[in-house]
Amino acid sequence: MIMPLIKGLQITISHMFKKPVTLQYPTERPDVKPGFRGLHALNVSHDKAKCVACYLCPTVCPAKCITVEAGEDANHDKYAAKYEIDMLRCIFCGYCVEACPVDAIRMTEQFELANYSRADFTYTKDRLLEKK
Amino acid sequence: MVNLTIDGKQVAVEKDATIYDAAKACGIKIPILCHDKKLHPFGGCRMCLVEVEQMKGRLIPSCTTPVTEGMIVQTTTDEIVKARKLVLELLLLKHPIDCPVCDAAGDCDLQNLTYEYKVNMNRFVDEKFNHEIDYENPLIERDMNRCIHCGKCARICDEIVSYGAYTFINRGIEAKMGTEFDGPLNCEFCGSCVSVCPVGALNSRPFKFKARWWALQKTKSVCSYCGTGCQLTLGSKDGKVLTTIYDENQGFHNGQLCTRGRFGYQFVNSDKRLTAPLIRKNGKLQEATWEEALAEVTSRLSAGKSDPASVAALATPRLTNEELFLFEKLFRGTVGTDNIDHSAGFAHEALTKGAVASFGVAASPAEIADVQKSKLLLVVKSDAYETHPVIGFEINLGVKRKGIALRIVSDKKGKLTRLPGAKTTVHAPGSEVALFNALCKSVIDQGLAVEGVAGLDALKAAVADASAEKAGVTAEEIAALAKDFASAEKALIILPIGQGYPGHNAALANAAANLAILTGQVGKEGAGLLIMGEKNNSQGAVDMGIYPKGTGLNAAAILDGCANGNVKTLFVAGENPVVSYPNRKKVEKALENVEFMVVSDLFLTETAAMADVVLPACSFAEKSGTFTSLGRRVQNVRKAIPAVGLAKSDFEILNAISQALGGAGYNNQGEVFTEIAATVPAYKGLTQACLKDEGAVYPVALSAKLVPVAAKAAAPAAGKLALVTGSALYHCGTMSRFGEGPMYVCPDAYAELNVADAAALKIGEGDQVTVTSGTGAVQVAVKVGKRVPQGVVFSPYHFGEGSVNTITDGSEVTYVTVAKK
Repeated sequence: MIMPLIKGLQITISHMFKKPVTLQYPTERPDVKPGFRGLHALNVSHDKAKCVACYLCPTVCPAKCITVEAGEDANHDKYAAKYEIDMLRCIFCGYCVEACPVDAIRMTEQFELANYSRADFTYTKDRLLEKK
Repeated sequence: MVNLTIDGKQVAVEKDATIYDAAKACGIKIPILCHDKKLHPFGGCRMCLVEVEQMKGRLIPSCTTPVTEGMIVQTTTDEIVKARKLVLELLLLKHPIDCPVCDAAGDCDLQNLTYEYKVNMNRFVDEKFNHEIDYENPLIERDMNRCIHCGKCARICDEIVSYGAYTFINRGIEAKMGTEFDGPLNCEFCGSCVSVCPVGALNSRPFKFKARWWALQKTKSVCSYCGTGCQLTLGSKDGKVLTTIYDENQGFHNGQLCTRGRFGYQFVNSDKRLTAPLIRKNGKLQEATWEEALAEVTSRLSAGKSDPASVAALATPRLTNEELFLFEKLFRGTVGTDNIDHSAGFAHEALTKGAVASFGVAASPAEIADVQKSKLLLVVKSDAYETHPVIGFEINLGVKRKGIALRIVSDKKGKLTRLPGAKTTVHAPGSEVALFNALCKSVIDQGLAVEGVAGLDALKAAVADASAEKAGVTAEEIAALAKDFASAEKALIILPIGQGYPGHNAALANAAANLAILTGQVGKEGAGLLIMGEKNNSQGAVDMGIYPKGTGLNAAAILDGCANGNVKTLFVAGENPVVSYPNRKKVEKALENVEFMVVSDLFLTETAAMADVVLPACSFAEKSGTFTSLGRRVQNVRKAIPAVGLAKSDFEILNAISQALGGAGYNNQGEVFTEIAATVPAYKGLTQACLKDEGAVYPVALSAKLVPVAAKAAAPAAGKLALVTGSALYHCGTMSRFGEGPMYVCPDAYAELNVADAAALKIGEGDQVTVTSGTGAVQVAVKVGKRVPQGVVFSPYHFGEGSVNTITDGSEVTYVTVAKK
């Protein structure tokens, strides 16, 4: 009865003097590898979002989490008047990036997406544009 | 029949077929860009190249090559694929690959073929075009940089629409599709060019950037404007109708639409739609619940049951057959009143009185298919094009392709009068009956009448004093027209009716029918009389009996009853008498005077604004049912989107009221159709399921007889102009005012004057004038042209501001003075 307990404690105590196996998050930050699919970002060119509202990302999105509404600007060109991603539905498959014909969307290395309210998981165009 | 072999398959086709038609007949798809089944072969794009054994050594365009006996055709060999790839590479050389922002993507022939033929690189390099894009007109955006020069837009505009807005301009590499003096587009805006454009060079501006083609939910339905009954496909997304989609296989018109059908759908999701019931409290209309509103209505109607004569009801012929049937059952059956009518009475009189007297049925003896089968068309009023533009396209096609002779008797000229070979007899305004009587007399005098027609002697006596002069035309014209009509192998009279045409009444229908019967032009294919109801379900409203049958009051008498207090409760389903019935002041006074008025409508119209209870109703896109078009075709209408706001369909409203009053109740509109099929003789044996997409034409048994009618003596007032009312091309009734498309092109009321009259009155184009009649005065803008003859003013009736019914009183012609404001 007592012997197994001591054996167990031996293992526990021995580990106290070894280097930890797990990453000590949040004091330690992970080294994010290239190709990681984190939070989306809308690419910017000439101070404007590159997105032309072609609707290919909502079309290809398997989780149906992207909402786009096109608008017509002063030059009669198409732009995304509304671009929203519902992060609660997103499965981070990256198809949107793959489908984009104008390199307007990418996935960043940001993975800390926890939030306090449901509404905060809706990433509007402004929030997606913020990260350069 | 000609026998040939295509890709090893044996086919037998008509001798005038092309290789392309033959391939299509046996299910082989040959790619095309410039070919369209409705247009003459063009052979411009070279996509449809095929190999013919007997013509080895070169590739043959299949869309222009007629079949010959024993032909052996290969449609896909390596050589052909290579040639097609080259064609695509050359097209893509100049084409801007802007598919992400092009609305045609997904429905683009060039895109689809590029994908199919795997053209993923180009051997050639060249600069793209840099043409200016036409953003100036409100409905059609023209980006000639995307154009692939198939010429379909120019051909459809010329061959079918007969407008000719486009043509190729310049030569060689600089060639492009141009307009008059290469300016902005200014045409009828029917959008036929947009519908056939294989790429995104021509786009619908109201639909621009609204949705991608593949995201649209497509619902096949029937247009809810005029009585033609054009089928259309509604493209909807997220509960909103966003566009109408072209489908070349739809209906007798092959998907061809007019400006209202194609660009007038926005009324469905207009911001002005009523979304909640309104009840008048303390003199103001306030939002209420459905329970409150319906309780108010049913309590009034159940009180009216004890005195049915004090209840009256007006319905719009825009409702479905099921709703109209229920309407009739509720008021004539449950409430027990015969005071029901629609369209001011005169817009259906030609059918309910005229056709009944002459043919024994309240329907046209002819159908739409007869237009193209005829040898001579006699169109009453050039306005037939304005009221029913797609029938106008049929006339264009018949005249230009089949050489059908066209005769027009009208009080003004119009587009039809410019068709090749068309002969127009311009008569004095309001003298249509006199004209037909003169024609009948001339037929009898020339000995062209059919022997042994019943009532011939009575007609002879009645038309004895008829003369060409009374109609304001020459005797030679009448004699020639009568001879042409009587001696034609098959001749068809086309008579548009509607609220804008008070003169197109029972007497005119009889007079026209007399001519057809007298010359034996009835009871055969391509001949007879086609009475064209104004609204989408005008024929259905007649079939369902929405008019007084016994001692009931007609629309005019109902309004008189409202004014003198005999009618205490008025139920108005979708009608807008304030704008569309004659004598606006009188109508307004009557409606103010009536104790209790309920209006169910899509919008807070001029009439609804005067009601005690307003019920928000559903548009055609939010309900299912059937419409009956002119020519007796019953067609399925299908629900495309959920009801807007709290709106309920008229079926739901009437059903709830009927049940509350202890009348019939139905679970769904389909049950009503089953009852229609069981009780309305013409609809016997029909089911909504068997109508399918194409609908069904119900048969009529004619018993034609001559009905002599006397022409009213015209009393022209000296020094005054004759005002005739009617439809503008872009509008239909008062509903099209809520569609953005028609309002971009034709937003305000106008009066059209002859150049000579305008010069005499010192009035110029666009001037504001006051038009005064014995009834009232109205201020409108002026259009000056040569379409109306001297001494005549034309004004359309659709508009609430400056509405022409302020000065009309329901007679054929109103004599007015026009003065600059």
